[in-house]
Amino acid sequence: MRLPPQSGEWIIRSKPLGFRFEGREYAGFEGDTVASALWAGGVHVLGHSFKYHRPRGILSAANHDVNALMQAGGTPNVRADATPLQAGMALTAVNTFGTLERDAGRFLGWFARFLPVGFYYKAFHSKRLFPLWERMFRAMTGLGRVDFATPRLRTPKRYGFCDVLVVGAGPSGLSAALAAAEQGADVALVDENARLGGSTHGASELIKQVVAHPRIRIFTDTYAAGYYADHWVPLVEPGRITKMRARAVVVAAGAYEQPAVFRNNDLPGIMLASAAQRMIRRYAIRPAQRVVVLAANADAYRALQDFIEAGIEVAAVIDLRDAVPTEQAAVLAERGIPLHAGHVITEALPAKGDKRVAGVRIAAVATREASAEIACDGVFMSVGWAPAAPLLYQAGTKMRYDDGVQQFVPDTLPDGVFACGRVNGIHTPSARLLDGERAGSAAAAYCGCGAAKPVVVPAETASPTHPWPIVPHPKGKNFIDFDEDLQLADLENAIQEGFDNIELMKRYSTVGMGPSQGKHSNMNALRVLARATGSTPGAVGTTTARPFFHPVPMSHLAGRGFTPERRTPMHARHAAAGALWMPAGAWQRPEYYAVAGLSRSDCIHGEVKAVRNGVGLIDVGTLGKLEIRGPQAAEFLERVYISKYAGLKVGMTRYAVMCDEAGVVIDDGVVARLADDHFYFTTTTSGAALIYRELSRWNTLWKLDCGIVNLTGAMAAMNLAGPKARAVLAGLTDVDLSFPYLAVREGTVAGVPARLLRVGFVGEWGVEIHVPAEHGAAVWDALMAAGQAHGIRPFGVEAQRLLRLEKGHIIIGQDTDGLTTPGEAALDWAVKMDKPFFVGQRSLMAIAAKPRRQQLVGFMLPAGHAGEAPKECHLVIENGEITGRVTSVAWSPTLARHIGLAYVQPDRAQAGSQFSIRLTDGAMVIAEVVRTPFYDPDNLRQKEAA
Amino acid sequence: MSEIVFENVSRTPRAGVKGPGAAAWLTSLGVPVPDLPNSWLPLPGGLVARLGLTEFLVEGPEAAKLAAPPVHGVYPVLRQDTALVLKGARLNDLLLETCSVDFRALDRAARPVVLTSMAGVGVTAIPGDDAGVPCIRLWCDGTYGEWLLETLAGVAADLTQSSQSHHQGATS
Repeated sequence: MRLPPQSGEWIIRSKPLGFRFEGREYAGFEGDTVASALWAGGVHVLGHSFKYHRPRGILSAANHDVNALMQAGGTPNVRADATPLQAGMALTAVNTFGTLERDAGRFLGWFARFLPVGFYYKAFHSKRLFPLWERMFRAMTGLGRVDFATPRLRTPKRYGFCDVLVVGAGPSGLSAALAAAEQGADVALVDENARLGGSTHGASELIKQVVAHPRIRIFTDTYAAGYYADHWVPLVEPGRITKMRARAVVVAAGAYEQPAVFRNNDLPGIMLASAAQRMIRRYAIRPAQRVVVLAANADAYRALQDFIEAGIEVAAVIDLRDAVPTEQAAVLAERGIPLHAGHVITEALPAKGDKRVAGVRIAAVATREASAEIACDGVFMSVGWAPAAPLLYQAGTKMRYDDGVQQFVPDTLPDGVFACGRVNGIHTPSARLLDGERAGSAAAAYCGCGAAKPVVVPAETASPTHPWPIVPHPKGKNFIDFDEDLQLADLENAIQEGFDNIELMKRYSTVGMGPSQGKHSNMNALRVLARATGSTPGAVGTTTARPFFHPVPMSHLAGRGFTPERRTPMHARHAAAGALWMPAGAWQRPEYYAVAGLSRSDCIHGEVKAVRNGVGLIDVGTLGKLEIRGPQAAEFLERVYISKYAGLKVGMTRYAVMCDEAGVVIDDGVVARLADDHFYFTTTTSGAALIYRELSRWNTLWKLDCGIVNLTGAMAAMNLAGPKARAVLAGLTDVDLSFPYLAVREGTVAGVPARLLRVGFVGEWGVEIHVPAEHGAAVWDALMAAGQAHGIRPFGVEAQRLLRLEKGHIIIGQDTDGLTTPGEAALDWAVKMDKPFFVGQRSLMAIAAKPRRQQLVGFMLPAGHAGEAPKECHLVIENGEITGRVTSVAWSPTLARHIGLAYVQPDRAQAGSQFSIRLTDGAMVIAEVVRTPFYDPDNLRQKEAA
Repeated sequence: MSEIVFENVSRTPRAGVKGPGAAAWLTSLGVPVPDLPNSWLPLPGGLVARLGLTEFLVEGPEAAKLAAPPVHGVYPVLRQDTALVLKGARLNDLLLETCSVDFRALDRAARPVVLTSMAGVGVTAIPGDDAGVPCIRLWCDGTYGEWLLETLAGVAADLTQSSQSHHQGATS
């Protein structure tokens, strides 16, 4: 039920909102969460637990209630305790078979004893039963439904910058932010709640000062999802991620209130005292009418004031401590509330149907003998806290267990990281303010803003956390982990089975592995482990805290991404000509040009035919294009390529293969000598950036008198090839086209300064034309126009791959891999071992002394092969063993045969040898080794001079 | 309507040079040289930017001077960049969504030149302002230019669309 208006309440009563849950209509207010609106509407069972499908209600109301996950339309796993209510929401519980009211999964609780700890491990131990269990678990597990039709959201990500990032806007965080800002720091203050104040609930003078401060930026509804190097913290906001780079970080993240462990501690109506306070102060809801408060600290008695003011009848306070401080006991005495000091709740008693707590059974801590039963419809627990320290752990903070406050606290903080408030072991309200001021001032000083104030923070005089809020029960159902339905006995059994290390116990039992990531279970679990092994919580330690601290929506992670795309200057021309695109590294290249009514292969074969019989034009501007100048330019090329270039004549080109220091082929291209001290050379498309970087590195190391310039993007390039190519070009250039094969000339094409390289990659008379990028499209247009009369066709990457395969030319990266040496790739002829030095030479000498592993050969399938043809990467098999693989294979329209390249064992490399290739379906195909080139073996067509 | 205006200034004459002799060579041609790497100087109708210890970009009419034959230790760099000028009140938001550099923290008086990555593309950037309106001059490899322009314009359009809906207080 709703209370009268509360000071600082979050709900806006003038804005009612209607929504549906499990098919029924409800109403709440703007400012409500889904859970608060339902609770106000009398719904106390918000979901069923993961394993046993037990009814569960509100536990924390702090974004950790993973038993109240809901499906909201197409969005699964909405956290009801933190998700703002919206008009028209249609919600259902996620973990039910049927409805929440009639959940067929409830029967699983009856079989609890057949679901022991480590059940997954035990089930999957049997290989025979593996498929059975897999099917069963697939059907039974998983939360919510993913809607695969969900549109992609371009949720933005952005960078942010600040001097001091304060995580947490409770009292200590507010105080830290203000102190840092007043010293001149640019402050970003982040809190996951919709409003500032943390557990203080409501407006305060401090909040007003913070909001009004010009140097404080406030991010509410935002959580710091992780800590990365150099104070880089992703802030997850409702509509974006900000990657905040701070100069210093103050972690004022507070602490998670911890549940006590007793039988049936999961019944709806049993919640943390802080959850009850939130219900009252934020949403003006009286969460129960008559409650038992389970206490072990001063916080419980502070919360008690809120309960009483809200008109809740406090039936009794059960305090785990034998000695309750006088001032706390007096609060109860004044109001006639019974106090049971040195007592525990041994068992919560369910109402009929297990849908609400109806009472508790209590006992003395010392004797554990039941002393009373108390009727109630709510149990509010305030027995201790666990620090919200994941960011501190991720930052590399060394933590220690402080027996005085029974929690882990920072021992050694990394440079630029500060902690304050509850996460720092400071719980008293006035001390939290001081601790925040201290940390904020120190953080600002760290950034060079003022000097750190000498603030004295009084230590806690009593522990806010009980060291053992755990009560065994012979009938169990005393839950430690609400996410995973783990009971005290489960952990004890895991330890008994040998998983007596915190990391092992976590993985075996799955404690802390649910959606809340152990926020309510890790501390109690490690206490159980410590007690069972005769150790201490400090010695047991914690599990590793990894990002993300809290689940980040996929829409944020997969939001706007940048995948840069390179386009050559002729891109629009290709698009207009019907290009189908394929990625080549960052480039978009025409795979082929579609012709209406023709299949892909017909289009490609048509382009091949045009080059073989007429003329074709391909955009090769994606090749890496480098220039090197200087007196030692030739010396440099001698060192980086396996062939010789010192003697290359001006006006000539030479094929160039590059190896790494291991002697592995990494790139190839053509080197053209334009002058004694000036070379222009190409690299592979994919290797351009890497090779330029690598060559720059070598040049820096060697300090030769030369310089390299990367012209890859600055130069357009196209290859005009075919028997009619010269005729097409003749009318457009001032260069004498009788220049020989493998020569280079500078002149003009279509009035544009150009470099012309006579190449033979596709096996016909051809010339690569390189021009400044700004002229690329104009030159392309001129060539296409001049070629009209000769039937010119643009050709794409697929046609080029086929044309070069007919010539037996390799493609680095396709016909080689990360281990291929020049010899294996049939490039021995290019290796000049008599040079004084080149990169990879020493390795090649060592490799030459060993037997060759494999050899690249050309192959053909028998004429008339009618079945399936091999594909790239199909394996070469001999005597059942893998001896090689196919690297390239295609149907050659020119030769009317299947041709390809493959690695085979060296003793199978002679022409005429046969080998077997295994197809996808396991069938074997016999191929015959053939000398390359397959087409025009004497290279007469490409060399043809006039 | 976008709150950020894009101007494509790729057609502006431009030339580059690098090498150990580049600074002296530019000086000999009458082109002033910025003292520090990653800084720039204004030229009549253009600018000269020092991109590193030994690399320079000259834009505007003065770029024509770099057509002179290079001497020892001077390596001409053909510049076929896409060059953009972005201007507008929301410019900083656009930069925050696409680049990890805090441009607002730079000392404009020092005429900084920033070599960084924007939306994953390597760019050279000079931040400034035009009559109080933030602006930035960008150069990138021309083959990335079209994509970068489309991408930045897309982000700018989204920013415009969302400018009214984003929660208050989280501006930076």
